[in-house]
Amino acid sequence: MTGAVIAHEPTGHAPSPSSPTGWHRLLAPGWLRVPWMMVLFFGIGAGITCLVRWAEGWYPIWDGQVITTVELAAVPIGFLAGIGGFDYWVRYAIGSPTRPEDHSGHGAHSWRDYFRINTDHKVIGIQYLVTTIFFFVIGGMLAMLMRAELAQPGMQYVDNQAFNGLFSVHAALMIFLFVIPAFAGIGNYVIPLMIGAPDMAFPRLNALSYWLLPVAGFMMLASFLAPGGAFACGWTGYATLCSEHQPIGAVFFNMSVQWAGASSIMTALNFLVTIITMRAPGMTFWRMPLLVWANFTTSLLVVIATPFIAGSQFFVMFDHVMHTHFFDFTAGGYPLGYQHIFWFYSHPAVYIMMLPGFGITSEVISVMARKPIFGYRLMALSLLAILVLGFSVWAHHMFVAGMAPWLRVPMMVTSLIIAVPTGIKVFSWLATLWEGRIHLETPMLFALGFISMFVIGGLSGIYLAAVPIDIHVSDTYFVVAHIHYVLFGGSLFTIFAGIYFWFPKMTGRMYDERLGKLHFWLTFIGFNLTFFPMHYLGIQGMPRRVADYVPRFADLNLFISIASFGLGASTLVFLYNMIKSWRFGPVAEANPWHSLTLEWQVSSPPPIFNFDEVPQVVGNPYEYGVPDARHAVFNGDRAPELEEVQH
Amino acid sequence: MRRGSIVQLVAIGVVCGAGAAAVALLIPWLPDPASKQADRIDFVFWFVTAISIAIFALVAAVIIYSLIKFRARPDEDMDGPPIHGNTGLEIAWTAVPAALVTAIAIVSAVVLSDNGRVSAATRSHPLKPLVVNVIAQQFAWNFQYPDFGNINSPTLKLPVGYQVKLEITSLDVIHSFWVPEFSQKQDAVPGSINPLVITPTRTGVFPVICTELCGLGHALMRSQAQVTSKTSFLSWANGEQKKLAGPPSVSGKALFTANACNSCHTFKPAGATAKIGPDLDNLAAEAKQAGQPLDQFIHQSIVSPNAYIQPGFPSGIMPQDFGTRLSKAQLDALASYLASGGKQ
Repeated sequence: MTGAVIAHEPTGHAPSPSSPTGWHRLLAPGWLRVPWMMVLFFGIGAGITCLVRWAEGWYPIWDGQVITTVELAAVPIGFLAGIGGFDYWVRYAIGSPTRPEDHSGHGAHSWRDYFRINTDHKVIGIQYLVTTIFFFVIGGMLAMLMRAELAQPGMQYVDNQAFNGLFSVHAALMIFLFVIPAFAGIGNYVIPLMIGAPDMAFPRLNALSYWLLPVAGFMMLASFLAPGGAFACGWTGYATLCSEHQPIGAVFFNMSVQWAGASSIMTALNFLVTIITMRAPGMTFWRMPLLVWANFTTSLLVVIATPFIAGSQFFVMFDHVMHTHFFDFTAGGYPLGYQHIFWFYSHPAVYIMMLPGFGITSEVISVMARKPIFGYRLMALSLLAILVLGFSVWAHHMFVAGMAPWLRVPMMVTSLIIAVPTGIKVFSWLATLWEGRIHLETPMLFALGFISMFVIGGLSGIYLAAVPIDIHVSDTYFVVAHIHYVLFGGSLFTIFAGIYFWFPKMTGRMYDERLGKLHFWLTFIGFNLTFFPMHYLGIQGMPRRVADYVPRFADLNLFISIASFGLGASTLVFLYNMIKSWRFGPVAEANPWHSLTLEWQVSSPPPIFNFDEVPQVVGNPYEYGVPDARHAVFNGDRAPELEEVQH
Repeated sequence: MRRGSIVQLVAIGVVCGAGAAAVALLIPWLPDPASKQADRIDFVFWFVTAISIAIFALVAAVIIYSLIKFRARPDEDMDGPPIHGNTGLEIAWTAVPAALVTAIAIVSAVVLSDNGRVSAATRSHPLKPLVVNVIAQQFAWNFQYPDFGNINSPTLKLPVGYQVKLEITSLDVIHSFWVPEFSQKQDAVPGSINPLVITPTRTGVFPVICTELCGLGHALMRSQAQVTSKTSFLSWANGEQKKLAGPPSVSGKALFTANACNSCHTFKPAGATAKIGPDLDNLAAEAKQAGQPLDQFIHQSIVSPNAYIQPGFPSGIMPQDFGTRLSKAQLDALASYLASGGKQ
């Protein structure tokens, strides 16, 4: 990993403060301060809880369920305080002199710098990506266990509680700890470079929002260790199953979503402020690359929608732990209320998991087909259309839920209308390919794989939007097939495209093209063999979220399980390629794809503050084929004679 | 664009469309429909499928054609023509999909309204329409016929050709009622009653499946829809009504199945093999573990199941209202049936 160390020392860099020695190291931010801070905050949490219970006369004073819930909030704060997430703000808040920013928390000089609070968006981007891939691998292994159990009807390897835990944690990890933050990771690395900024607007907030992720992820996994087993009510966590009939593991899910959600909101705010205020001179909104547009709309979705899932999880947790009655019908609660609040976030979340992928695809297709994006403005506007429409379709997840019947047709109409802006994007990508000069490198393969798989997922989405068909197939394997076509064939393929595309920029080295292509084809074929037959299972009558099924589905399930193991194995090719190329890959050029956008106009990896001179944006980002077109010029380019005068 | 390339593009599109159509037509995707509602839903399904095949063929053709025709040579350093857009095309691919989804929306809305309509405005006869109360609970179905003296059945019995209105509810968590051959589905939500209309069109036995995750026994929460002729339905219903009017059934074995004990427990004499709850073949050993006499242990476990929980099993799963649902005589009969290992 030392190969990836950023070599550029900026001139005028303040010397790092002298490292603390002896017992002072226990007080300095870092891993030595983490353990005792966690213990301290555990004590604070437990102390306050017991004090309140004693004062109120609630017995027993030490109640395991209540203490666990409080500690899931308190201990992570101890962890974050220990690692140094709050240092600057605490000094400021208690009135002691703040340390002037000396940029010592910037850049990575050895692998150790990736394991501490780091305010450099490039380091944070890599932290995000490596962490999310870690959780992706774990989530994938949970899926393999599920497919092993499903290879035959009847129960073989796990019991019902364990199986329900497997698919619940699988989905929760993939959504909250992989797809959403992986896009945040790519955005973190690329967006400031693309708009010509030296960093994100709030670097300390950026660092904090990264460190919330491991907290959320390990909390989700820890639910397997909770007494009674992992939360087993599906990632949707419907009341009243999740609010009244679950072991304490369910609270781990409720709280983990809070931490992951807080991380998303902070990052989204950071993106919004960065994109609005820190664009290079000349970078008007209509000159922004489409990935910037995509992250802008995604961030709006995140800040508007995420509080709703936070609320829904708190309500469920209160019903579970504090015996409130938000969803308890025997006390006047309304079970469907949960679903309305939950989907008011979780449908926009589908676009949170898709729009950045649209952005990545636009970058890759344009650069690798050597043509301007077809219909640039309509591409940006269709993102905004999806943003607005995305808030008007949540109840299409509830067509059979027993909600007000009149809501079904309006929700169907808005859901179907979303196909229009989505169609505009697909057709515009196809028109961009038309008459281009197509280079089929790995990122392009994944981008084209994404378009074809996403079209299938989008079409099965039409079936699900049409209420009568949805009534037949909802909560069956058809839905499982659909969400994997849009989230695996859609989001995951674009994440892979993005990782391969920006790998030379991030690491300064080239990945192995042969292994990349092998990875694509294994994934593409394994994916279709695994998920396409699920459409059939669902329509024929196999419900989802079951460990056992009727014998007539046995052959097809065995086939799917075998295909899924192949699909899982294809990830090993990816991991091997990434690790090997990061260490030993050939050194990458600054601009191996001959792209016009700003991140490729600096060295690979970029200098510590991205741009040694501020770029001046003079044109559109995709002017391939236009003679002498420039997206940006640097001062040195524009007026060489002026520079001579200054010397 | 030259004429030759249009011909090639269309040819690829036709091949892709034919392939997709073959997949759609040669595989028997839909279950054999057994209700009027399923027939209508199948129509929407094929309507959407036709549109989907056309769109899929178009996209696949353009991608494949581009990959063949517009591949760059490995070391080539040329750009494509700087085409920034085409207003006519952009209007077309906004307007045409909008028209297609409008058509889908109209067809769907019409079918939805037809499928939810109860044909007779006023009910002149208990079969016009037949009303069935569907009561779901972890992990069993119970079907009640209010117009036939509230008779109960663990399976859904319907007369063929008559419209039935199901009134679906749940006693604990959310479940979902689905019969694939009827194509109709509705969640059972505690605290509300959700209607669902079905008109069976052929006799037969079809699976009733719970499709909403409802806990540990979700996969096994199954029953049957038995569609028979009107006469055999009425003779069953009237027979059950007579039985209900007489002294309550005190056959332990009948009570065991009627209360769906078999959906969670193993008990060999009744042919039950489920594993959600403790194995009732070992009741004597379990009573000893609990330190209670066998008969008292069985009574207590039925009436207040959470009083003693067999190690290794979660509490709060078994319904707690059997004490009110069963009469004293029924309770005694069920307990002695279990205590005797199925002999009484």
